[in-house]
Amino acid sequence: MRKYMVIYQSVLLENLQYAANVAMGFLGYFVFIFIFVKLWGYMYRTPEELIAGYTKEQMIWYVMMTEMLFFGSNAASVAREVAGDIRGGNIAYLMNRPYHYTLYILAKYTGEWSVRLPMYAALAVVIGMVMVGPLPHFRLTTVWAMALCVILGLTINAVFKMCISLFSFWIEDATPFQWLYDKLILVVGIIFPIEIFPDKLQPLFKITPIYTVCYGPAKLIVDFSPEKCLEILAAQVLYLAAGCGLMFLIYRKGVKKLYVNGG
Amino acid sequence: MQAIRVENLSKTFRVKKKEKGMAGSIKAILHPQTEEIQAVNGVSFQVEEGEMLAFIGPNGAGKSTTIKMLTGILYPDGGRVEVLGIDPTKKRKQLAYQIGTVFGQKEQLWTHLTPYDNFRFFGAIYDLSERETEARIEELAQRFELGDFIDTPVRNLSLGQRIRCEIVVSLIHKPKVLFLDEPTIGLDPVVKENIRSLIMQMNREEHTTIFLTSHDVGDIEKLCRRIIIVNAGQIVLDDSMERLKEHYLYEKGMEDADVSDISLEDIIMDVYKAEGRTAAV
Amino acid sequence: MLTAVRNQLRVCLLSVKYNIMREMVNKVTFLTNVCFMILNNASILVQWFILFRLREEVGGYTIREVLLMWGLTAASFGLSHILFARAFSLSELIIKGKLDVYLVQPKNVLASVMTSSTSVSAIGDFIYGVALACICGLGVGEFLLFLLFTVTGMVIFISFALILGSLSFWFVRMDMLENQMVMGMISFCTYPDGIFEGVSRFLLYFIIPVGIAVWHPVHLIVKFDAGTFFIVAGYACLLSVAAVAVFYRGLRRYASGSLMEARL
Repeated sequence: MRKYMVIYQSVLLENLQYAANVAMGFLGYFVFIFIFVKLWGYMYRTPEELIAGYTKEQMIWYVMMTEMLFFGSNAASVAREVAGDIRGGNIAYLMNRPYHYTLYILAKYTGEWSVRLPMYAALAVVIGMVMVGPLPHFRLTTVWAMALCVILGLTINAVFKMCISLFSFWIEDATPFQWLYDKLILVVGIIFPIEIFPDKLQPLFKITPIYTVCYGPAKLIVDFSPEKCLEILAAQVLYLAAGCGLMFLIYRKGVKKLYVNGG
Repeated sequence: MQAIRVENLSKTFRVKKKEKGMAGSIKAILHPQTEEIQAVNGVSFQVEEGEMLAFIGPNGAGKSTTIKMLTGILYPDGGRVEVLGIDPTKKRKQLAYQIGTVFGQKEQLWTHLTPYDNFRFFGAIYDLSERETEARIEELAQRFELGDFIDTPVRNLSLGQRIRCEIVVSLIHKPKVLFLDEPTIGLDPVVKENIRSLIMQMNREEHTTIFLTSHDVGDIEKLCRRIIIVNAGQIVLDDSMERLKEHYLYEKGMEDADVSDISLEDIIMDVYKAEGRTAAV
Repeated sequence: MLTAVRNQLRVCLLSVKYNIMREMVNKVTFLTNVCFMILNNASILVQWFILFRLREEVGGYTIREVLLMWGLTAASFGLSHILFARAFSLSELIIKGKLDVYLVQPKNVLASVMTSSTSVSAIGDFIYGVALACICGLGVGEFLLFLLFTVTGMVIFISFALILGSLSFWFVRMDMLENQMVMGMISFCTYPDGIFEGVSRFLLYFIIPVGIAVWHPVHLIVKFDAGTFFIVAGYACLLSVAAVAVFYRGLRRYASGSLMEARL
């Protein structure tokens, strides 16, 4: 019996440590949301005003949802792990295992966010209810469609971040490219919904991954409509297929390069 | 004159204590309980100038803690320390000019720079003029045979070459006392021997006091004429190397045996095992 | 005394030089890091173009003031991470017992520790910050003021980080809090003070000193006011003195990694 107690304890301690990490992440999330509550509070002169078709509540909930996806998924860990494996030479062992390296990383990542995201979702709901108020037109019956969109969106994001990390086969440090991709997502997807940009730019943004990674899931949560849902899901499936194709291609080229140079 | 004087030195570390399980974790946050670990407990000794002393003991005995208090890294909880007549807690910087330290497991060199550039950097740290630094580098480079690799970045050097550079760095300012904390750890026997003879030479030519901790009996036997053994934060033995062996034989009832027949290793093992028993020898 | 200060300065400058040399071993990585950080920062401007499409001013700031605010934040953050990057990871050094090396040197511990590493991308931040100030078309006097406030901002960022980092001498797991608090502070620095009111505004001026580091200086560059200027300068001095005091108070409790060993 004793050994099971020891196992229990060590796992518990590990998880308490983990809980502390999550609590720190909550602090970062809170700062972000706090700023946006204040910012949009200032930008909306009257409570009834609409900006780009969004009410104040919808606008803030939009940011809360996109930030929740960002904090809750921590796709940066995927990027770091892949880049670390390649630069540290670990890849030579991992690629000979009986699974595809990229899918192994994706599976691991999915396992991680399945635990983190619900915690952030709970936090977001609490902060939202206290500081903003409930979302108008939100219906629980459509949650399954939103969830599907979220899962696809997070996966597409990880696939693209992994593609960038795979460049580490050729260049010493791919992190600067990660920053740029992250900033693009942040500026065009996380902070604002696409409708806020000038009309001419909007079609352009709709063909970038941002539409499927950030905007899509968050838009459905704050303002659900069946047509929009189908449109986003279709775009996501296309993007996932294209992204995975690209990922496999880069990976294969990279591995080939590794064989040529002998690691 | 005495190089080091330590009186009744002690140091306690407070470690947070936590009961088992979730309830324990919560309790630890609400009512933090600390447990005291007495790392050094009333240690007193003196070291004469020019002496070579081995300060040894099993892991966790308090050797590193003591050496760190002597060099001004740790703040003692009780007792008095004087190194070259200077109190490390009050005049850390002043003392630092006069002592050198080599921590075998902690590197102080810049790995992307060459040893030569490193020596110049440390020359600046000890406020040496360009001329003094150059002269000292030349002298030490010759003595430690660094000629072949003095212009190779440190990261490309072997461990043995690195440790030689570490020692040179710690000698750049002609310290009067040199603290060596496991200087030969991880080195092969030839390099170990080489390092030992260099340390001996330093002691002979510059009259440097050597304070050495090591788990390597060879280091101790070759270098030191006096040995202090600590265990559980207290000194359990303080004797000259020769008398140590005589006493040991006497203790074992083997007065007639030849002193050179017994190994230091056996004696040390015996003392370690006799934990709790004070100075049996 | 004067020679001591000069020697100390000489060692610090050498440290910074060697740090940068270390990073420049690979020139391509070095340059991409710097350039991409500039681009990275510049991309945030999109946010402000959008916000200024909605209203002529945001939180009382015109676009020029927003650029100044961003410039000042980036320049202060950049300079502090070029020269004193280790101030922002002090917790880690304390917990892992990595201060030993600096404690056996006959130099100021804090100065040696802080200058013992650098951040390459911070060079990009600094260049970006100064470039924004140039875009704003500052006069000579205003530009000098900008540089001065870059330094006071740096002092405040560093002091804030040092105080949080030094808490590791007393409490465990402060490293994460240090990081989050500093990043949180930087986030606040990049939004106008006019959007905050009441308690949050008070907190941001006095507890998390964003107001003193960036907002006051922005107002001062636009319209100088001697009283506020002295508040900024005085606060920066006071906070740095407090930071140094907290560090040295904590240093007495420094365990040099012995705690980790004791736990094993």
